Amino acid sequence: MQTKNIKTIFLKELKDTLRDRRTMIFAFLMPVLMMPVIMIGILKLQVSAVSDIRKEKQVVVVEGFDRLPAELQARFESHDSLTIKLSTEYPGEDLKQEVTSGRIPVFMSVPERFSQSLDLESQTDIEVYYDGAEDRSSVAYEKIRRVLTNHREGVVTSRVLKRNLPEELLTPYNILDIDLAPPAKQGARFFAMLIPYFIVLTCFLGAMSPATDLGAGEKERGTIETLLVAPATRGEFVIGKYMVVLLTSVSAGILSLTSMALSFKYFANSKEFIDLKNMMNVQIGFESIALILMVVLPLAGIFAAITLAVSIFAKSAKEAQGYLGMLNFMLVFPAFVSMIPGMKISMQTALIPVINTSLIIKSVLSEPDAINWGLVLVAFFATFAVAAACLVFCKKWFEREEVLFRM
Amino acid sequence: MIETKDLCKNFKDKKRGEVRAVDHVTFRCKPGEVFGLLGPNGAGKTTTLRIISTALKPSSGTAVINGVDVVTDPQGVRRQIGFLSGNTGLYGRLTAKEMVAYFGRLYGMDESKIEKRTNELFTLLDMNTFANVRNEKLSTGMKQKVSIVRSVLHDPPVMVFDEPTSGLDVMSSRTIVDFIKTCRDSGKCVIFSTHIMSEAMRLCDRVAIIHNGRIYREGTVNDLLVQTGMNNLEDAFIKIVEG
Ligand SMILES: Nc1ncnc2c1ncn2[C@@H]1O[C@H](COP(=O)(O)OP(=O)(O)OP(=O)(O)O)[C@@H](O)[C@H]1O
Ligand SMILES: [Mg+2]
Repeated sequence: MQTKNIKTIFLKELKDTLRDRRTMIFAFLMPVLMMPVIMIGILKLQVSAVSDIRKEKQVVVVEGFDRLPAELQARFESHDSLTIKLSTEYPGEDLKQEVTSGRIPVFMSVPERFSQSLDLESQTDIEVYYDGAEDRSSVAYEKIRRVLTNHREGVVTSRVLKRNLPEELLTPYNILDIDLAPPAKQGARFFAMLIPYFIVLTCFLGAMSPATDLGAGEKERGTIETLLVAPATRGEFVIGKYMVVLLTSVSAGILSLTSMALSFKYFANSKEFIDLKNMMNVQIGFESIALILMVVLPLAGIFAAITLAVSIFAKSAKEAQGYLGMLNFMLVFPAFVSMIPGMKISMQTALIPVINTSLIIKSVLSEPDAINWGLVLVAFFATFAVAAACLVFCKKWFEREEVLFRM
Repeated sequence: MIETKDLCKNFKDKKRGEVRAVDHVTFRCKPGEVFGLLGPNGAGKTTTLRIISTALKPSSGTAVINGVDVVTDPQGVRRQIGFLSGNTGLYGRLTAKEMVAYFGRLYGMDESKIEKRTNELFTLLDMNTFANVRNEKLSTGMKQKVSIVRSVLHDPPVMVFDEPTSGLDVMSSRTIVDFIKTCRDSGKCVIFSTHIMSEAMRLCDRVAIIHNGRIYREGTVNDLLVQTGMNNLEDAFIKIVEG
């Protein structure tokens, strides 16, 4: 094995790859552009889906609005995101049916003599009809319930005071709900679940495209024979090609990470995205990226060896793409483990490539202060060992006539 | 000089099982001579030439190229050989010059030598106008010239041509045929396979008739015609293979 030959092959394949528009798109443009676009798209949907409905005005159709005490009427009328409509505006319609069909979000029915019943301190009911399967209807219901509960508490308090009883009687204890996760951490948790898959995916796509060209492409162009009769060994060709595939895969990974980190920073500071600010407050600093790289590098090593071996086996670029598409599913799909809530890196999962990378990225992003370095090292060496085995296999594979001259 | 000794090659084929593509092939090809391997489709020409140029290993037997054995020292053999086949392709995204230089480096030539030889050959073959154009933009004839330069840049003593004119028009074929003659005249040992009888008659000093992996007869074109009593190679070929 001569380093001079490897260098010659590496430089040629690198030049060839850098001129390949398809590879440039998959390995460089896509990670840079697509990742933030995807992430921000998801983010925006997430935040706006809930808050938009809250801000929207919902119609409440009320039967017997005038039976409510004046104070409660005023509370409803002045509500900034509820519009009160009287049932008399819907003559002859079955309003419960209209709620089910979704035409009216909520229908509230006030019984006769409601005010009087309050004054007499007897019990009565208000019926609120809503559709629990509908976000809009549920949100409107919650708003109504809040108005009614507030009013009801006021009534109770005044009754207690009227009897000269201490107000504390009403609240035997307070529930202090303190969410210990700061907003930044909540956002981080969400990203930490999603990002690993995309990073593993970009690494794979970054390897797949050049590997297709460097392996099956040689057969398709009819250049493979000229290589095999040239005085460089098959091992030297494998290493030279492998290094190029590895390089594009790693750069795809680094680019997607960097671009994600930068776009978080940018959007977290921008005014239009003030709502996103809390969710975006993930710090992807230099150390996080370095740590993630430590598990991404050997993984790219596995991807490069496997994609190259598959590609040289195929007779055409199209055949190679078919195999690699299936492989994409098999190898990258396990990265979704990070989406399982509560799933954390353990000794067992640290030994399995892809899964270990995914879970370590998740922990770096969600719990940067509680990183288990022992497991990171286990994951690094386990993945590295598999990558080395894949490379040895790839080299052996390249020396087989049945693979190079498959009929 | 090329010398093959009882060369055999078996392939495992999915449908046909074990196929013997080359069956005890023995011949000799001297410097300054064009040796033709003449046979129909599937005769074993490509396989034989691939073994000679070390792309494939023989199942048994061996070949000695310029004193170097293909089995024991394939790396050594590769430096002795220039290889060109009809379906040899180019790297589309490299320019003619880059492609040629790449192979020069693989053959262990230093940069100044590569530069010198490239200029020499590009001028000889009238290629300077497209030396820095990407291969994908070249015409078939231009591509063929790039392949020629690629195969001969390191000035090997032995040239291997596997149906080099297949799929080419008259003009491009002519370039190749002229190139083969130049190789012969400069004292190289040239082996060349074809299934086109007229081409063999025109070009070969000696031919071997190969069919089903076996060499049926070997000699000068004239010898074969005289021996079979025919007046063209095509009839002689049929007589040899069927008789
Ligand atoms: N890699 C391979 N695997 C299986 N069988 C093969 C392989 N290469 C060649 N063969 C078989 O070996 C035999 C000889 O093939 P070869 O390509 O050497 O013939 P050829 O004389 O070059 O024919 P052609 O004129 O079609 O190029 C054929 O039967 C072919 O199918
Ligand atoms: Mg052939």
